[in-house]
Amino acid sequence: MGASKGEHDNSFSKPLLNGLPSFVVAAHELKSPLALVRQLSLMLESGDVSDADRRRMLRQISLTSERALRLTSDLTRAIRMPDALFKLEPINPQQLCEDVVRELTPLFAAHDRVVKLVSRRRSLLLVANRDLLRRILLNFSDNALHYAEDGAAVEIKINVYNNGQTIRLGVRDYGPALSSDLFKTLSTKLKDASMTPIHARPQSSGLGLYIVNQFADAMNGTIGVTRHRDGATFYVDLQTSNQLSLL
Amino acid sequence: MKDVSVLIVEDDKWLAEQYERVLITAGCKVAISLHALAAITVIDDVRPDAIILDVLLTGTTAFALLHELQSYGDTGKIPIILCTNLASELSLDDLKLYGVKRILDKATMAPDDLVAAVKSVIL
Repeated sequence: MGASKGEHDNSFSKPLLNGLPSFVVAAHELKSPLALVRQLSLMLESGDVSDADRRRMLRQISLTSERALRLTSDLTRAIRMPDALFKLEPINPQQLCEDVVRELTPLFAAHDRVVKLVSRRRSLLLVANRDLLRRILLNFSDNALHYAEDGAAVEIKINVYNNGQTIRLGVRDYGPALSSDLFKTLSTKLKDASMTPIHARPQSSGLGLYIVNQFADAMNGTIGVTRHRDGATFYVDLQTSNQLSLL
Repeated sequence: MKDVSVLIVEDDKWLAEQYERVLITAGCKVAISLHALAAITVIDDVRPDAIILDVLLTGTTAFALLHELQSYGDTGKIPIILCTNLASELSLDDLKLYGVKRILDKATMAPDDLVAAVKSVIL
């Protein structure tokens, strides 16, 4: 299979958000998990917690650290995109989505939430880079985890569009609906593949969607959002692989 | 701080739980809202003595909630403690009109600072 080289100019010093350099945006994004880890650590140090609380807090520290580390490794990868070659290969999206669900289940369970795959009967193949696609789905799911309402499941869905030429992997959350203004801004920016961060939520710096936009672009894919009455679906569209039809 | 009722408005569930843990240990009664909109209902039900409020919330931000609280005579008097990562960018003088009595920086505060802040605003 061929390789794709990202055609981006996203050096780390490039201003991203309101004129702020990207390292400032990244620092802001990392502040929340670090502040939580610090608060929990200080509480554990004080020793004034029950055994059950201690176990729960230690679990929260490790899961929060993993989330922060995922962001830093995504960021590193996004910054290196212009110089990197990414191998594109036929991938079974069902299998990849199952792996993502398995990877995220402990994090969702710790938040009393569920992530599940809405399965397809027919086997499909798409053209992508496994690692980049996995990171996109993890990012969308992380966003959905934060946005979904208590008790509501987050669903990863696989759909086929464009007469079978496009496969859409979507992450559906059930939470507050996106406002019309936010939806319009998101849709326009995603359509234009803007180089500026895209806010999925008011409190977000938009760094996550900015990163996945770079990843999708490197695989000749596009990301987008669909607004629902009770939440949103963030998706990535990728080309179908014709390899199965040759068998 | 027996019988002091505190509402925590924080969209990070685990951080909200941590604040709750600290305040319950100090003897407070605690309610949690993960969104500003939900907080309005809880405020009507609970009538808290103080509100600990994050600024960047999912959906409606803290400032919309502050406006809403100031629209009514009774809720406008509830002291607000902002607990935020944006502390360095906010001025207490500018926010006093909205009932904000303290601003805590999430990145540097200690768990005890939360208890101290609640004590200071309810006295």
